[in-house]
Amino acid sequence: MTLSADSTARRGLETDVALAAAGDASAFERLYRTHVARIHSLTRRMLGTHEADEVTQDIFVRTWQKLGQFRGESAFSTWLHRLAVNVVIERRRTFAINRERMADDASALDFVTVAPARGDLTVDFEHAIEQLPAGAREILVLHDVEGYKHREIASMLGIATGTSKRQLHRARMLMRRYLAEGPGANEKRHS
Amino acid sequence: MHEEWTDKLSDFLDGELAPDEQRAVESHLRGCAECAAVLEDLKRVVARAREAGAVSRPPQADLWAGIAARIDAPPAARAATVAPFPPKAPRRFAFTLPQLAAAAALVAAVSGAMAWQIAGRAPRVPAAVDARRAAEPAAPASDGAGAADSTDAAGRIVPVVMADAQYDAAVADLEGALKQGRGRLDAATIAIVEHNLEIIDRAIDQAREALAADPANTYLSGHLVEARRRKLDLLRRAAALTSESD
Repeated sequence: MTLSADSTARRGLETDVALAAAGDASAFERLYRTHVARIHSLTRRMLGTHEADEVTQDIFVRTWQKLGQFRGESAFSTWLHRLAVNVVIERRRTFAINRERMADDASALDFVTVAPARGDLTVDFEHAIEQLPAGAREILVLHDVEGYKHREIASMLGIATGTSKRQLHRARMLMRRYLAEGPGANEKRHS
Repeated sequence: MHEEWTDKLSDFLDGELAPDEQRAVESHLRGCAECAAVLEDLKRVVARAREAGAVSRPPQADLWAGIAARIDAPPAARAATVAPFPPKAPRRFAFTLPQLAAAAALVAAVSGAMAWQIAGRAPRVPAAVDARRAAEPAAPASDGAGAADSTDAAGRIVPVVMADAQYDAAVADLEGALKQGRGRLDAATIAIVEHNLEIIDRAIDQAREALAADPANTYLSGHLVEARRRKLDLLRRAAALTSESD
C-alpha cells in the first residue's frame, strides 16, 4: 500500500469510527469487516474454535456500546484489541475456566497433539495452541502471539508477573514437544 | 535435562533475567549442548507463534447478521448523548428505526421543554404577523410540513396542516396495524417505540396546554404540528417494520 493509499485508508477508518460512534450501523459494519479476522483469530486462539464465533459477536456488540468512550488516544485497532482481550478474560471468568489456569496439573504435560497433518504449518500450530491447558494457552497467546508484556498480562489477568512467566515457559515447553515430534506424536507414543 | 537451567531459558530468551543470572545461563549454555538445544527449540516456538500472530483468518461464517440484530436496540441511550441541534453540513447517516425513534423523541422532548419556556416568557407575536395572518385564508399547507394557522370558533389559533379528525383516524389506523403486527417485533424494539410514543405524546400535550395559555404563539402551533407529524412518522415506520418482518 502506498503512503497516500495508507493515509486515505486511515482517514476512512477514522471517519467510520466517528460515524459508528454517532450510531451509523453501516460504518460500524465496515469496521467489523476490517477487523473481524484479527479479533476472531484472537478468540479462536484464546478460547478455542467452538466458542470463537459467539465471543467475537459479543466483542463487536460491546465495541458498539462502548464506541462513545473511544477518545482516539491510541489507534482504534489497539483499543479494539484490548477491549477484545478483556471480553475474553471476562468470559473465562464467567465460566470459571480460570480455576484451572494456575493449577499445577501434571497431566497437562501430556496434552494430546492429535491434530491431523493438514499441510498448513500455521493452521497446525494454531491447532496445537488450542490443545494447550487453558492457563498456559492464554499466556502464550497474549505474550508470544499478540505481543503483550508480562506486566500487561499480569495486570489484565490479575496475577503476579512471576506467574505469567512460569506459565509462558510451561506453554513453550509443551509447544516445543509439538514441534519436535509433530502432530500425533503423543498419540503414537500412547498407542 | 537440567531443569534448574531449562526453567530459566524462557526468561533468558526474553531478556527477563537479572544481569548476573543472564551471565550465569550464558556460561552454562556454552558447556551444555542439551540446554543449548532446548533454547534453540524455544526460539523456534517463539518464531512460529509470531508467524501465527501475523496471519489472521476470518470466521468461516459471516457473523455480521447476529451482531446487527443485537446492536439494533441499545443505541437509545447513545442518542440521548447526541447534541439536540442538527449539524449544518449534510451527513450520510443510515439510522435504524430505534435510532430514528430515539432521536425523534429526544427532539420532541427538548422542543417540549422549550415550548414551556417560550409559553412562559415569549412576547406576543408581532402585530405585523398578526395582521398578515388575519389577511390570509386558512388553508392546509400543501407539503404537509408547514404550519398554516386558523382560528376556531372561540378565536383560538389551531394548526390546520392536518385536521384533527384526519389525524386521529391516521393515528388510530397505524396504532391498529402496529398492535396487530406487534408479535413480529422483538421486545426491545417494541419497548423503544412505546417509550418514544409516550414522550412524543407528552410533548403534544405540553404544546397543547402551552397553546391554550398563549393561543397566538406561532412557535407553539408549529411545534404542535411538528410533534404530531413525528408521531405519525414513528407509527408509520413501526408499522412498516412489522410488515417487513413477515
